Amino acid sequence: MTGNQNPYLPELATVTKVIEETPNIKSFQVVFNDAEKMKNFTFEPGQVGQLSVFGVGESTFVINSPPTRMEYLQFSVMKAGEVTTALHGIYEGDVIGVRAPLGNWFPYNDMKGKNILFIGGGIGLAPLRTLILYMLDNRADYKDITIIYGSRTPPDLCYKDELKEWEERSDVNLILTVDNEFPGWTKRTGFVPTVLKEEAPKADDTIAITCGPPIMIKFVLEGLAELKFPEENIITTLEARMKCGIGLCGRCNLGHKYICKDGPVFSLKQLKELPSDE
Amino acid sequence: MADKGYLPKEKIKEFVEALGKDATVFAPCLEGDTIIFRQYTPDKEISLDRPANTPPKGAIYPQCETLLSFEFKKEADNPQKMDVELKVNTDFPKAVVFGGRPCDARGFTVIDRVFIDTDTADPYYKKRRENTTIVTKCCNGPVAGCFCVGVGGGPAVTEGSDVVMTEVDGGYYLEAVTDKGKAVMSLPMIQDGASYEAKAKAANEKATAAVRNPFPEGADKISAELFDSGDFWGNVIEKCLSCGACTFLCPTCYCFNITDEQAITTGDRIRSWDSCMFQHFTLETSGHNPRPAKHKRFRNRVGHKFYYYPEKYDGAIACTGCGRCIRYCPVSVDISEIVGYLRDPKADPKAWAAKKEDAKN
Amino acid sequence: MSTQKLKEIIKQVLPDVEAVICWQEGFDKLNVTPIFITSPEQAEKVVWNPLCAQNLASYLPSQKKKVAVAVKGCDSRTIVQYMQEGLIDRNNVVIIGIPCKGIISKKKVQKAIGNEPVEDVSFTEGSVKVKTPSGEKTFAIADVCPSKCTSCQYPTPIVYDQLTADPIQSDKPAESVYADVAELEGKTLEERKAYFLSQFDKCIRCYACRNACPMCVCQDSCIAETRDPHWITQKLSLDEKLMFHMIHALHLAGRCVECGECERVCPMEIPVAKLKKKINKEMKELFDYIPGVNPEDKPPMYIFNVDEAKIKEHKL
Ligand SMILES: Cc1cc2nc3c(=O)[nH]c(=O)nc-3n(C[C@H](O)[C@H](O)[C@H](O)COP(=O)(O)OP(=O)(O)OC[C@H]3O[C@@H](n4cnc5c(N)ncnc54)[C@H](O)[C@@H]3O)c2cc1C
Ligand code: SF4
Ligand code: SF4
Ligand code: SF4
Ligand code: SF4
Ligand code: SF4
Ligand code: FES
Repeated sequence: MTGNQNPYLPELATVTKVIEETPNIKSFQVVFNDAEKMKNFTFEPGQVGQLSVFGVGESTFVINSPPTRMEYLQFSVMKAGEVTTALHGIYEGDVIGVRAPLGNWFPYNDMKGKNILFIGGGIGLAPLRTLILYMLDNRADYKDITIIYGSRTPPDLCYKDELKEWEERSDVNLILTVDNEFPGWTKRTGFVPTVLKEEAPKADDTIAITCGPPIMIKFVLEGLAELKFPEENIITTLEARMKCGIGLCGRCNLGHKYICKDGPVFSLKQLKELPSDE
Repeated sequence: MADKGYLPKEKIKEFVEALGKDATVFAPCLEGDTIIFRQYTPDKEISLDRPANTPPKGAIYPQCETLLSFEFKKEADNPQKMDVELKVNTDFPKAVVFGGRPCDARGFTVIDRVFIDTDTADPYYKKRRENTTIVTKCCNGPVAGCFCVGVGGGPAVTEGSDVVMTEVDGGYYLEAVTDKGKAVMSLPMIQDGASYEAKAKAANEKATAAVRNPFPEGADKISAELFDSGDFWGNVIEKCLSCGACTFLCPTCYCFNITDEQAITTGDRIRSWDSCMFQHFTLETSGHNPRPAKHKRFRNRVGHKFYYYPEKYDGAIACTGCGRCIRYCPVSVDISEIVGYLRDPKADPKAWAAKKEDAKN
Repeated sequence: MSTQKLKEIIKQVLPDVEAVICWQEGFDKLNVTPIFITSPEQAEKVVWNPLCAQNLASYLPSQKKKVAVAVKGCDSRTIVQYMQEGLIDRNNVVIIGIPCKGIISKKKVQKAIGNEPVEDVSFTEGSVKVKTPSGEKTFAIADVCPSKCTSCQYPTPIVYDQLTADPIQSDKPAESVYADVAELEGKTLEERKAYFLSQFDKCIRCYACRNACPMCVCQDSCIAETRDPHWITQKLSLDEKLMFHMIHALHLAGRCVECGECERVCPMEIPVAKLKKKINKEMKELFDYIPGVNPEDKPPMYIFNVDEAKIKEHKL
């Protein structure tokens, strides 16, 4: 936490920039009002924060800027319900609350020297973004980096400028797809799991990291199993309704593990060992 | 300071009022036919006749409390801009929980592990817990539903209490369990108790023997296979109404909700008890719900108390056998019966599948 | 006795239905609990006695397949109301009617025996004998019954497919139904307000009353918990509790079948049904309507008439 004794107490932060990523996703760059706290703030890629719109409530979002770029923290918010709608009404200069960092993170040290395969759908690129940028900032530590990313339509793709950048880099293999044909779209079409099967990346020495809608994850996991990825090399970040974010309010559990505190990052191997409600 | 004492019955009021000199006392008060833990005031009637309808949990972990207050303020030189000011209050008065039962006091120890023994301790609970002295009344015997002895407790266990009192000879034999408890023993109306000790011991043994233990010796392991069986849960829990009675009355349930409640320019972020038996407890905005069906929710409740929590905390069970969830369940669901099936060494999911092919919602 | 007949009927209808909903012995002798019978062996577990207070008809709207259900006279009003409101398909329900001479309030018995654990309970015509560690006590059922039984007009189910015994007629005067409400009306507004506030102050918002209410149709989407609309906060103040109960009562206006479940299940022993009964009395006086007695009726709040015979102000 941000050095607060009280884990419920958010840090006040000012939104310095709002980026309209897609028709229903906005990114917010925020800076703590307390400059000292901003300077001393540390987190790991994959950790999340709770954003407060006071009077409306709190919701959980991954910090999708990497710890290697600390001028601001970035969160991307898909409009869904009460808090996310309120966040979409926030302007640059407005003050919100941030409780961060919460949860665990991607085991990026264990991934050193390996090939990395990112598979994302829609807003699911947000948690991957922090790790992608972290790896690009430490490019020498990792071997091949492949990113399969898809959304419903081209306008629904997040981080369009960055996608362009990654596409141009020779040390990143970016594969973009949208669900169906779309005027002006010349790249691939088809669902992410299908593209994964077509691409058939090698499982050897490769860590796969996936995040997206539950249905996409389900089929991606099946696809990875077919490609013979061992369960411990498949990493995903989970979602559950959250409130406290610190393992106390009791709602986000899978058996005795709490997604907010023991997660959200789990390997498929870990998940298989937990009782599932599904 | 003595750690044994005696309190004549007619001095109860005096005792409670003395406890209240520098502290808020929560005591079981009779209102109509209901016994509720209330902040004691002299107009209230304390009743120790039976365990209260509610546990005293709310004295340390209020059903609703303010985590923080916020206020929007316009910046003087830039009226377009709103500043937010946050205020937190953890300045709680000293308190005494008087007249809870051993299962109630043990309930706090279950919550302590989660709320205090963690790197993200709950400052509100922690502060209140430290500030509170727990004076517990041992039970003369069980009431309907009680099964404390089946979960490592009993009508005279001291875990979680600072003082325990046992009914003897028209009064109460008091024993201090902690240093906080010893301080209580120095109150002037407490008489010498040594001569009552043997009688109290006998009374407590008698009470303990009278409590049912629903779990046969050695049956302390949950069958993972039966626990995973949808047929089993569908069968045992079809009658459940998905209300919050069992969890809100439980001395160990601690789940909560956090909501913002605003009034124009000021407001509070409050936390209020929630229940894993409610459908929206786990409902995500997308409409996805990992526990949409009541039997999944019930499985979580039983799992949490008898399976997940013990896995996390060295075998400790998150149920103190107070029996309230059984006693007050609208449809008489009996958690001890269900855990009994799960712990049966001969538990067999197939036996449940035969009865019903399709576990409804 | 009728328990035997009940078992026979259950075994007879079982092949036609997914389950038969009935009562069986509960965690002690003073408690029964619902059972969803799916095999003839389970039918042997069934009990019928004055402890069978739970209104099993409440389970009907959530059933996906054809079921049979055992109902007392009062419970059958729930089914009639479901039929009026289109909440069940009558063809999917086999109603096993039980003529009933009155049930027992568990709370009243527990109080009368000083909350001792119950070792045994037995019944003779019109009375109940309860054995506890300190001895036996016998009570007339009339002394330990819930208030609804003291003025019961429908001891025999109004709708049924099978009856477990010969029909019985009510021997209670029709005026007695709202005697308790009349008593309340005798008090001043201030007194009434003080009474309800002191009662609702005990509420812990566990929603057992709501979830047990057969006519409460929103359940998981209840405004007591929604954020949109955000009419009720999660604060524990008396205002919020009162608001919840007023809304529950108003949503039951002309729909409450007076089964008393809300009151029976309240762990805080709050007389939750009283408000609803008061409103029902008003509805009866205004619209000549009694909920749950005639499947052909329509609840008054389901109908809009430009002219209402007894609401003068509404004349256009
Ligand atoms: C670990 C994690 C990381 C996430 N990262 C992102 C992200 O980077 N970008 C993004 O757009 N979304 C993310 N989400 C989902 C996001 O938290 C929900 O969409 C959001 O909470 C919905 O809140 P609401 O108030 O708008 O909806 P409402 O329907 O009004 O929700 C009410 C409350 O329920 C809780 N809640 C409901 N659904 C969820 C959910 N799926 N997850 C957590 N809490 C929920 C919240 O406390 C919320 O305030 C993440 C979720 C988790 C668990
Ligand atoms: S078990 Fe009983 S008290 Fe608990 S939710 Fe179900 S009906 Fe309500
Ligand atoms: S689960 Fe039931 S018996 Fe156990 S402590 Fe909670 S209320 Fe008491
Ligand atoms: S998960 Fe359920 S059983 Fe466990 S503490 Fe929370 S409400 Fe109680
Ligand atoms: S309000 Fe009460 S008495 Fe009326 S139908 Fe509902 S549960 Fe029965
Ligand atoms: S059952 Fe009783 S305590 Fe629970 S919400 Fe209803 S009135 Fe309140
Ligand atoms: S969000 Fe509260 S326990 Fe996970």
